[in-house]
Amino acid sequence: MFKINRKWSTFVVLTIVIAIAAGCSAFGGASNSNSNGQSGGVEESGVNDDGKLELSISTWGLPDEVEVFEQLIANFEEDNPDMEVNIVHIPQDYAGKMNTMLAGGTAPDVIFTSDGDFGRWVSAGQFLNIQDYVDNSDINTDAFWDSALNRYKWNDRALGTGDLYALPKDVGPSVLFYNKDIFDEMGLPYPSPEKPMSFDEFLELAQKLTVDENGDGKPEQYGVGPLWWEGFLWSNGGDLLNEDKTEFILNEPQAVEALQYVADLTNEYKVAPDTKSLDAMNADQMFETGKIAMAFNGRWIVPTYRQLDFDWDVAPYPAGKTGEPSGWSGSVGYAINKNTNYPDEAFKLIEYLSGEEGQRIQTELGFAIPTYKDVADEEVFLQSDKKPEHAEVFIMAAETQRPGPWTLTPNNKWLDHLNQKLPELWNGEKSAEELINEIKPEVDRLLKEGNPELFE
Amino acid sequence: MSSEIARNTSIEAEKVAVKKKRKIKKEYIWGYLFIAPPILGFILFALIPMLFSVYISFTQFDLYNPAQFTGLENYHRLFFEDELFWKTIFNTLYAAVGIPLGMAASLLIAIGLNQKIKGISLFRTAFFLPTVCSVVAITLLWRWIFNSDYGLLNIFLESVGITGPPWLSSETWAMPAMIIQGVWGGLGLNMILYLAALQSVNPALYEAADIDGANAWQKFRHITLPSISPTTFFILITSTITALQDFQRFMIMTEGGPNYSTTTVVYYLFLNAFRYMEMGYASAMAWVLGIIILIITIINFKVGKKWVHY
Repeated sequence: MFKINRKWSTFVVLTIVIAIAAGCSAFGGASNSNSNGQSGGVEESGVNDDGKLELSISTWGLPDEVEVFEQLIANFEEDNPDMEVNIVHIPQDYAGKMNTMLAGGTAPDVIFTSDGDFGRWVSAGQFLNIQDYVDNSDINTDAFWDSALNRYKWNDRALGTGDLYALPKDVGPSVLFYNKDIFDEMGLPYPSPEKPMSFDEFLELAQKLTVDENGDGKPEQYGVGPLWWEGFLWSNGGDLLNEDKTEFILNEPQAVEALQYVADLTNEYKVAPDTKSLDAMNADQMFETGKIAMAFNGRWIVPTYRQLDFDWDVAPYPAGKTGEPSGWSGSVGYAINKNTNYPDEAFKLIEYLSGEEGQRIQTELGFAIPTYKDVADEEVFLQSDKKPEHAEVFIMAAETQRPGPWTLTPNNKWLDHLNQKLPELWNGEKSAEELINEIKPEVDRLLKEGNPELFE
Repeated sequence: MSSEIARNTSIEAEKVAVKKKRKIKKEYIWGYLFIAPPILGFILFALIPMLFSVYISFTQFDLYNPAQFTGLENYHRLFFEDELFWKTIFNTLYAAVGIPLGMAASLLIAIGLNQKIKGISLFRTAFFLPTVCSVVAITLLWRWIFNSDYGLLNIFLESVGITGPPWLSSETWAMPAMIIQGVWGGLGLNMILYLAALQSVNPALYEAADIDGANAWQKFRHITLPSISPTTFFILITSTITALQDFQRFMIMTEGGPNYSTTTVVYYLFLNAFRYMEMGYASAMAWVLGIIILIITIINFKVGKKWVHY
């Protein structure tokens, strides 16, 4: 019996050991594979047998995006015959893999970074300060959208201010998409592409677009889809954090009012499907299948929507007390690995990619809008032969929109906590005032715990 | 004379013994050589990282900058300051409710699939299919099933006169939804294991029971169940360990929400390690979880002796 016992206990211990190891390695495992079969880390960069300087750059994306990117790189190599750029394509779990590559010193010379990851990596000292390079280059930072450029700044304490640590690849503003066929069918005028609706007008329109044919209290067609609340908040004069980013201020009256308005669209007026941020993906699909008349979404969805079998167009977000529409825009930037041995050459590469020519080529895909204001006004972006008819709505949005809340601080614990709690507001269990006041102490605590440098 | 012979024989015997020993020693080397690859792999990729994680759990470490020793601070924070950690432990144990449900369901299906019906392999394949599908794909599919307005589940409930809850967005129903999905996801593998166990039950026992006039339930209770108890035990142990480490589907389906109702301990660990870059704190969590799993498994083994028949 004793023997069996010992055997079992060994088995148990081994099982645990393996279990823990497996649990940890599931995300720790770095994969350095790339399209060329090389690791592509900074250490491997250098002059190769052909006398060319080899550099590496990481990217993610779908095949058609990668194809355009490869074309861009080929153009760059043509202009710079003494250089060769290896593309490290990481299609899945990009942030997770880049974490390990950075920690292990095998990250490429130039790194794709989403604006959400940027804060984490720059605050950990992984990126090169490129302010001097930018100042001494042909790049005219005034030609960029401010909102695109500022999110890649860092002053060793806070994001959004200080020196540049990356250049934007693109900026993807969000707008109100609407199903033109539904508007035609119901004989309603389209929303203006220039003048934003007020909150009241928006509600009224959404009510008209909500149809409950069989009267069971559950509409067959909803007026509006996933509610991206940040735009409502900002255009009403509210914000998440104060200017120093040391306090959570969603409890201020304008903010509470905007949040309550968004929640009421679902619970009070029932013009939006039971708003669950969780079901956001499904709500997108509801728009695509004509069950929702209006939906908020970003520029990146345009290539997908061009394949829809109904007619659609875009309009600005409705505007609150400030009278200005708002919303958040997404972005991706190019940063230089702090450990690169070839910073000059790496900058040359991102200078090209985020420069005007690079922008033109990338814009043709339609996923984002160019970071240069001038290029955005050109046909290459407006693409008047393709939907949407009023592409200039995106340009207006880029002008006024802000980076998403996740770009506010390097550590977003406080935001994660907010997102865990917000469903209680969206599903009507609590009022905005009640919920925000209830969670404020904890959000403030997490803000400080995660970002002590902001409080120094 | 005789003593001399005796001495010679003993010397001979000793020589043979030494030779044998050498031979055994030689065989040992070969044996070690054969088991070396997995052992080395284990030491390199499991043991050393594990020992390292013990050290890391006593430090503050953001993955990029050198770890700073902070003593027991991480453990203190875990036990006394972080209420959320204990909530995630509770959530994880709650999610484990799915284990007995899943085991009962897979046994039932295995019994059904153990019959001699036409096209049986087709049914077996159908039930096993979820096991070979990607977790991500399955999870995305289930998100649709749980959609409160248009989801398959609520449409079905409505047809029998029940108004379904908003599954994934309700604090109360998100975890039951995850349990349902988990039970379904585990069915295939457990079913196959049970099927194999059922087929190896000695048919003579059933014949004898038939002669004694046992009914179907009695046969199941007194022959089938005890005969397959080692399999039941195996499934229990492995499912427990898997359930306590479950997190991928939670990340995709609910992101731990709403209000942390589906944040499992490993998901929380993942957030701390790879979103907040607190490797030290996350390692401390991993060790506390590891010890909890160890305790539960030991209890399982102790209790198991009472009902597992070999």
